[in-house]
Amino acid sequence: MIKKTMLALATGVSLAFAFPAFAQDVRIGLMAGLTGPYASEGQDTKRIIELMIEDLNAKGGINGNKVQLVIEDDGSSPGTAATAATRLASTKVPAVIGTYGSAVTEASQDIFDEAGIVQIGTGSTSIRLTEKGYERFFRTAPRDDEQGRVAEESLNKLGFKTVAILHDSTAYAKGLADELKAQIDKNGRVNTVFFDALVPGESDYSVVLTKLKSANPDAIFFTGYYPEVGLLLRQKKEIGLDAPIIGGDASNHVDLIKIAGKDAAKGYRFISPPLPTDLDTPVTKEFLASYKAKYGTYPGSIWSVASGDAFIALVEAIKAKGADSEAIADYLHNDLKDVQGLSGKISFNEKGDRVGDLYRLYEVDGDGNFVLQPE
Amino acid sequence: MDIFITQLSNGLAIGSIYALVALGYTMVYGILRLINFAHGDLFTIGAYFGLTILVSFALQGNVSPLIIPWILIIMAAIGVAIIGFLLERVAYRPLRNANRLAAVVSAFGASIFFANALKLIYSPNRQSYPADIINLPNIPIFGVDIQSKRLIMFGTAVLLMALLYWYINHTRTGTAIRAVAIDQGAAKLMGINVNKIISLVFIIGPALGGAAGVLMGLFYGQIHPEMGFSFGLKAFVAAIIGGIGNIPGAMLGGLLLGVVEAIAGGYVSGSWKDAIAFGALIVILIFRPTGILGERVADKI
Repeated sequence: MIKKTMLALATGVSLAFAFPAFAQDVRIGLMAGLTGPYASEGQDTKRIIELMIEDLNAKGGINGNKVQLVIEDDGSSPGTAATAATRLASTKVPAVIGTYGSAVTEASQDIFDEAGIVQIGTGSTSIRLTEKGYERFFRTAPRDDEQGRVAEESLNKLGFKTVAILHDSTAYAKGLADELKAQIDKNGRVNTVFFDALVPGESDYSVVLTKLKSANPDAIFFTGYYPEVGLLLRQKKEIGLDAPIIGGDASNHVDLIKIAGKDAAKGYRFISPPLPTDLDTPVTKEFLASYKAKYGTYPGSIWSVASGDAFIALVEAIKAKGADSEAIADYLHNDLKDVQGLSGKISFNEKGDRVGDLYRLYEVDGDGNFVLQPE
Repeated sequence: MDIFITQLSNGLAIGSIYALVALGYTMVYGILRLINFAHGDLFTIGAYFGLTILVSFALQGNVSPLIIPWILIIMAAIGVAIIGFLLERVAYRPLRNANRLAAVVSAFGASIFFANALKLIYSPNRQSYPADIINLPNIPIFGVDIQSKRLIMFGTAVLLMALLYWYINHTRTGTAIRAVAIDQGAAKLMGINVNKIISLVFIIGPALGGAAGVLMGLFYGQIHPEMGFSFGLKAFVAAIIGGIGNIPGAMLGGLLLGVVEAIAGGYVSGSWKDAIAFGALIVILIFRPTGILGERVADKI
């Protein structure tokens, strides 16, 4: 008798403990550069994902399960990213979104791969990230070879005969610079008269600008990031170098206007996937409206919005297959087709790269707005 | 030749900043045999103070652009001097008689504290000084148009360094500072208040660093909370090149480092300029282990 009561009690207790499993939270990891040089991107990313989770949970979450976010700061640096990735891996999340910066992402890839966690890079365009055969790495950003092709195309279309290529020695910028040079050499329509790097994070670029001035190119193509672009534009104007700067897609952040000043930024062109505010699908419009309502401004760049794409893809996968890494990866590779994301339709190929044609040419006008150029 | 002169002016301008920051390292080392690793962050704080003053007093447009730099430099220098004074009181004085390594650890702690305090107060994002504060025409030198802001930077730095040199060598207090640097015990016996002198050094050094921070922000435009690390490192190297503990040495080392960087960046490759500059440091130290003007071997750290 006593034994039976004990058994009943034990069953009851274990049932009580087991019960929450039915409505278990789905945890998703986010690795973003909340501090460090790309902090604007990271903070934006965090705001976007938090907003999307809030909306999703208000609508009942994924199949009735609430979504919970686990955030780690990668400090915009590869070293810190490795630590952040290890910490995320130890929380056993099935999937991680992030991060901005190819070098930063690269530092975390091995760790997530070993832990069997699905990773969706957001602002990581370096070619080799998806050439290493990781089964569970995806990215919502396009690749640099695509960007290099469009860059050469645009330089030619804009009528520049000689171009100076400048990078900043980071995995991303060097990769894009090499790719652009290869495209230029292949097509023979434009000449490279200068190929060198600057040291990112410095305050004075007058030395490299003076050197550029003596190379006398029609245009300068800088493949690095927005803080350096801002300074280059500002200091270029001061030393009286007239050749325009054209940038890659790491420079499409509004902060560059603040750094350069509107005068110096005017006429700056860059290649980029369309900016959030130039997207006019209903999904994007609804998202932008709720972002504006909550934070009072629009997202600063496309990369934080690409993290929203990653989130949408993940939610689709978890909805269909549950919160299991292997099932998510399989779904993203094979079953996810043309889902409407924030920056366009999302599908991934077998390498984990995003499929589709994304790049556009932008020019900065006199008021510091990024204006989409007609194709 | 035109390009060479322009690069030289670029190098001298950034070198002036290194030199001003290097003075802070070298003075503290001269007196306490301590490398004040928080000094780079004092420089950063100076840059942020300058920006805050510029924005909150709405100086731009209301005050002549020729006067703005001086207002900012003086006010930021005073602010940073106060912080430097407190830094010595809180982080170094209690450890004066402790193991030398304890003070170094304390310096690193202070450095981390400052960088993070700046992030907390001003956000970790980069900030920029308005682009059009000082619009002055270029000045032709040897037939080459040199930006007048380069000359202002160089001139301001040389002026501040000359003032310091005169102060150290030709005033009673300066003599006392030199005496403490040579032998603290003997200086005490001569009736010099050593604690006061040390406090004074922690006022002068940070003030110069703060002034350098303002020059940096004003003329290069962009500042961020962690820039003190790289500038601090360069300035530290400059102090060693010149001979640490030696004031004219710090000036010389700073200018030399700036020029070597500019020439290396301009004629070899931008990505190699740091390697070349630090390579030059190694060569100098092989032939002059005490630095160019140094007399003592830096034997403690």
